[in-house]
Parts: sequence; C-alpha cells; structure tokens
Amino acid sequence: MSIVEITGLRKSFGSNEVLKGIDLQVAPGEVIAIIGKSGSGKSTLLRCINGLEEFQSGSLTVDGKPLLHHNAAAMRELRQHVGMVFQSFNLFPHLTVGKNITLAPGLVKKTDKAANEAQARKLLERVGLAEKFDAYGEQLSGGQQQRVAIARALAMQPAVLLCDEITSALDPELVGEVLRVVESLADEGMTLLMVTHEMNFARKVADRVVFMHQGLVHEVGAPADLFANPQTPELKQFLSALHD
Amino acid sequence: MVDFSLWDIVRNLLLAARWTVGLSLVAFIGGGVVGMLLLMLRLGKLPGVGPVVAAYVQVFQGIPLLVQLFLAYYGLGLFGINTSPWVAAGLGLTLYASAFLTEIWRGCVEAIPRGQWEASESLALNFYEQLRYVILPQAIKIAVPPTVGFLVQVIKGTALASVIGFMELTKVGKTIANATFSPFLVFSCVAILYFVLCYPISLYAKHLERRIHVHR
Repeated sequence: MSIVEITGLRKSFGSNEVLKGIDLQVAPGEVIAIIGKSGSGKSTLLRCINGLEEFQSGSLTVDGKPLLHHNAAAMRELRQHVGMVFQSFNLFPHLTVGKNITLAPGLVKKTDKAANEAQARKLLERVGLAEKFDAYGEQLSGGQQQRVAIARALAMQPAVLLCDEITSALDPELVGEVLRVVESLADEGMTLLMVTHEMNFARKVADRVVFMHQGLVHEVGAPADLFANPQTPELKQFLSALHD
Repeated sequence: MVDFSLWDIVRNLLLAARWTVGLSLVAFIGGGVVGMLLLMLRLGKLPGVGPVVAAYVQVFQGIPLLVQLFLAYYGLGLFGINTSPWVAAGLGLTLYASAFLTEIWRGCVEAIPRGQWEASESLALNFYEQLRYVILPQAIKIAVPPTVGFLVQVIKGTALASVIGFMELTKVGKTIANATFSPFLVFSCVAILYFVLCYPISLYAKHLERRIHVHR
C-alpha cells in the first residue's frame, strides 16, 4: 500500500494552473527526489501534501487518510503524519533550539515535559547538535539551523518528511552536513519527498526521481536510468543545462 | 475677582490632571482590550469579518476625535441613555484608541515572516496555538514602542473631552483662566503639565525602540 497517494491533482493560483493533473504513489520507506525547472510546480506539489496549499481537484491521501482542507481536526491529524522542512529553515527565533523542538509535541501530542525534552535531546544528538539545546537560532550557522529544523520536524514522529529545497539557502560548504543528515534518515527507512537541485545527491540517495515539467509529472524512474538515459527532450535539455 | 496665587492655580491643575490620567488609562486599557479583540477577528479567517473590522478602523480613523466625542455624547442621549461626560468621553476615546491600536498591532503581526505561520502550521498547531506561542510573542516585541508612543496621542486626545464638559486638565485650565483673567499664565501651566506627562513616555518609547534594534 502506498503511504502517499496522489491522483489527478490540479491546483491553480487564480487563472494560472500550476499543477495539471498529478498522479504519484509513494511506497513506505521510499525516497523520492523531485526535480525540474523553477515554475514547474514541484514546490507547490510538495506544499499540497501537507495542506499548505489548497488544491482544486483530485485527491490526496496520506497513510490512507484523505486530505480534507476545511476540516481542522482532519488537517491537524494529517499534519502529525507529515513533517516539513523549508528552504528558509523557519526556526522560531524567540525560542531556544530545545523549545523549538518540544513546542509542537507538547501542544499537539500532549507528550509530558520530561519525555518530550529527552526526545529533543536525542534528536539533537542525531543531527549532531547535542550541545545546542539552549542556544537560539540566530547563534547558529545556516547548516546548523537547518539541522535543528529537521530535528523539529522529526519530533512529531512523522511517517513522511517533505523537504523543500532545504539546501538552497545554504553556503556551499554547509550543504554537506545537512545532506548527510537526510541521507541517514533515508537509510533508516524514513519516507522522504524532496524537491532538490542537488543532482548528485538525488542520484545517490533517491529510489525514484520525478521530473516535473509545466505542472505535470513528465518522467519518473530510478535515478540510474533517468539520469543516464532520459527519454524525453525536456529532461535531456534540463539535464544538459545543469552541466553547462 | 477671586484672588488666585500661582500655587492655587497649579494645585487645582494638578488635581484636574488626575482626571486626565484616569481618562487616559480608561481609554488606553479599554482601547487595548477592544483593539485586541478586533485584531483576533481580523486575523481569524472567518469570511466577511475582516472587511467589517477594516471598515471600523477606517471610520474611526477618518473622523476627527472631537466629532467622535460629540457623537458619543449627544448620540447616547438620543437613545435615551443619560450620559455623563465620563461615560461619553470614556466610550469615545476607547473606540478611537481601539481603532488605532488594532491597526498598529495588525502591522506588527504582518511584519512576522510568512514562514513562521507555515512552519507552525506544518507542525499541526491550530490557529490559537500559532498566535499564542509563535506569532504574538514575536509581534509583541515589535509592537511595544509604537503602542507606548500611541499612549501619548491618547493623553493629548483627552484634552478634547473638555468640550463635552469633562473636568480634566484643559477644562479646568479654561475655568481658572476665566476666573483669573490670566489665560496665558494658566495655559502655560497646563502645557507644562501635559508635557511632564507625555515626555517621559515618549522617552521610554524611544528607549524601547533602541533596545529592540540592538537585539535584532
């Protein structure tokens, strides 16, 4: 059974249709890299999966539960299964790193404080930032902030993690530390959907690569096939443009 | 003519200043409470509510406070409610302050990056939790200086309550001026008292503003 199931998904901003009927099934534990030109709809697709964007038609289920945009209880339930990491980190600047991580589990899952804090420390250790529990976001580098953001998302114990260009705002020397964390998640069997420009990373870690073009899934395949042997002229052009 | 010494003048004005301070507090606290409710209404995405609040703000920002006070005073009377100047002035200034405060605070909430809403939403927080734990704590920090600054406007605004017979600083000043025939002296004292009330608050607002910029 798929953990994320998207059928005939359409989404417009005003009269501009950005997703034109997306079909995608993601199996549990699968790592999907979504690539494509800017404006191809890949970020919008990702944001539809946790309800940050409302779509007009089609269906989307996560863990068997349909996404019902106007049902607050259903959305709260769904978002506990779907974590998201953003390009711009979006840490809460007025809270310490520890509080950033414990806030949502405490409020939403009503986990008790001690267990919650223990989990936060463990997650920080996992992303290599055990000593930063009491630091504030502004005291951290971009790469460290992004690793905290990953820990924060994991604290909700999501079944699926969405990563929206999570290394695009980082200085080149900080990209590696974040990608290593993501890779370790993939190894541990987390279901990952990531929009990325890091083709080498996609090639190495992804089980499947989805190439989006003009609001449609244009080509899907294992990274080895897709990168070595692109079937469509659009993907050929996209890949060759990367090498220029 | 009654013989007023300078001390008599100052003493009476000081007594009257209590009412200026009292009315300012009523307007500021009342305006703060109503303004906060309006802000919640505006931020909550209930259909049709936002434009109503926006219209409320425009109405009270687009009519001189003096006229608002007349309307409160004579309008309440029209409905058969026996208004004292206290009630009319308190009500008029509360409405006035609420419109400005809700608008000041809305600006502060809008200054919080959208990513903060999105991140907290993604973590399954509901609207109330988002406001309470993520958005407002950040917005309050930037809201304090303009809010304190607005208190100065409210204090000066209370002078207008003199026209509906509210015995605050300006009204008492006018009465004493009529009795002593030395309006310039009396209103100089009135001016000094207003300044003494407002200047520390302005200074404090500036100080707060500086402190926030340092912490950024």
